[in-house]
Amino acid sequence: MELNAGAGGNGSHKTASERDEVAALESLQFTDEIRRLMSAPGGDNASSFTALLELPAPQAVQLIQSPDSAKLIAAPAPAPAPNVDDFRGSFQFPFNCGLIDRAARFSVFAGDGNINGNNKSNSPEPTSYNSSASLQKPVKNEPAETESSQPLVSDPTVENRSIKRKDREKVKGSSKKSKTSAKESSEDAEKLPYVHVRARRGQATDSHSLAERARREKINARMKLLQDLVPGCSKISGTALVLDEIINHVQSLQRQVEFLSMRLAAVNPRIDFNLDSVFTAESGSLMDSNFSGMVIPMMWPEVQLNGNRQQYPQQLHLDAFQQPVSGREEVCNSYLTPENSLLSYDSSGNSASLHSNQLKMEL
Amino acid sequence: MNKYNPPRMNPSSLRSRFATRFLRSLSKINAKKPTASSSSPTEIFRRYRRIKVAADKSMAYSVRSRRTWSRAMLWKLRTRPCCRRSVKTSTIVRKTRHEKQNKNTTTTTGEDGVVFGVEADELRELVPGGEAMDLYNLLDETAHYIKCLTTQVQVMKKIADFYSP
Repeated sequence: MELNAGAGGNGSHKTASERDEVAALESLQFTDEIRRLMSAPGGDNASSFTALLELPAPQAVQLIQSPDSAKLIAAPAPAPAPNVDDFRGSFQFPFNCGLIDRAARFSVFAGDGNINGNNKSNSPEPTSYNSSASLQKPVKNEPAETESSQPLVSDPTVENRSIKRKDREKVKGSSKKSKTSAKESSEDAEKLPYVHVRARRGQATDSHSLAERARREKINARMKLLQDLVPGCSKISGTALVLDEIINHVQSLQRQVEFLSMRLAAVNPRIDFNLDSVFTAESGSLMDSNFSGMVIPMMWPEVQLNGNRQQYPQQLHLDAFQQPVSGREEVCNSYLTPENSLLSYDSSGNSASLHSNQLKMEL
Repeated sequence: MNKYNPPRMNPSSLRSRFATRFLRSLSKINAKKPTASSSSPTEIFRRYRRIKVAADKSMAYSVRSRRTWSRAMLWKLRTRPCCRRSVKTSTIVRKTRHEKQNKNTTTTTGEDGVVFGVEADELRELVPGGEAMDLYNLLDETAHYIKCLTTQVQVMKKIADFYSP
């Protein structure tokens, strides 16, 4: 669908590198969740996590390494079946300042608000296991850690096995729900493998509000697309007004189609249709025009009737046309606006005066 | 010798598909007119209705069944003139049941229905097939519908300009 593809190209407001980093971090988050769900308890300290890493390995590697900017991973070695050591060596966390700021701003799953205080701490927090992603907090907020990722990688496994079974089930349930809600919206997400929902400070973290927040963000993204599509809509703030503008635009387009078909019905009797000539002319002229040129409203069909030398049936003509549309009162207003636009659009003075006379006759 | 090759349109774009179908149906409509009463207002009115239906139908056929609104519009166009004939209604009824199963019949969720209550209903009336969609799909369909309507208006305007003096 060309519309969606095009929209996916320009829909985001973040820069590409920011989104890549965010996507990489969040994909890391999700892959860790997935790994934890699939993990068998036991195994020794360091190898279990990497064993977990290898299970969805190619996909995880691609998820982590594909949207990378240069700062994220030093060694560009995306092996399809990665060796454990390779993966460990190349698995570095991005420790630049922008990321620290963002991590401080978007505090993840803020059931506990002490994230900024834990910026430099490496110690796991045994109290904050109410949601799955909070486990990633000490992992992500390691800004100054320039050592290898191995102690960081092994920490989640230590924390992993210290969870009691009911917490693990609760985490599994909530993460499953968020995963399914993310999965079903992942097809709609532009360019990201998952839809990543960030909980801001003080917001609820249960799965229902997560799903609702994801939905709301999707809907806001769509509204932005529609704002770009409808001319004159980008400077309106407030979703209700934007929707009103969209509704007006759709109504005006439908009315334009009706007027054009009226005009074609009036024009037709004189000329035979020659498909070839129309196509050549049309292909030449259609290449020049673009969508933005269509904001100009069209000419009133009576211009054609004047050209056809029909004097009196014009009034009957308009009455016959008014019958099907008289049910909708707003069309009466629209009869004025093409007149105004025609007066501004048409350069010749006599037809404009003719128009105003005829419309005074009708209304 | 300079050969000017005019830039070729994309033959499979929405615009060219719609233009082809619409021109074909226009020529069909014109072919069956009697020349005697061609300029009477009733005849023009009748032709106007036929041209409008032809425009909508050719636009819906250009989009095929890829979009919910095109499916809804095609179904509406099929059942509209055939209500008089009793023979076709049985097939139509079977088809409508089948198509209703195909339509996504998700209902509006509470939260966003509260936020965009009135406007969403108006939008549902405007976009064909919008009654049975949730807000997200409705916005999606609206965007595609606006794009197709714009194409339709452009092509029809070009045709009308071509044939007007």
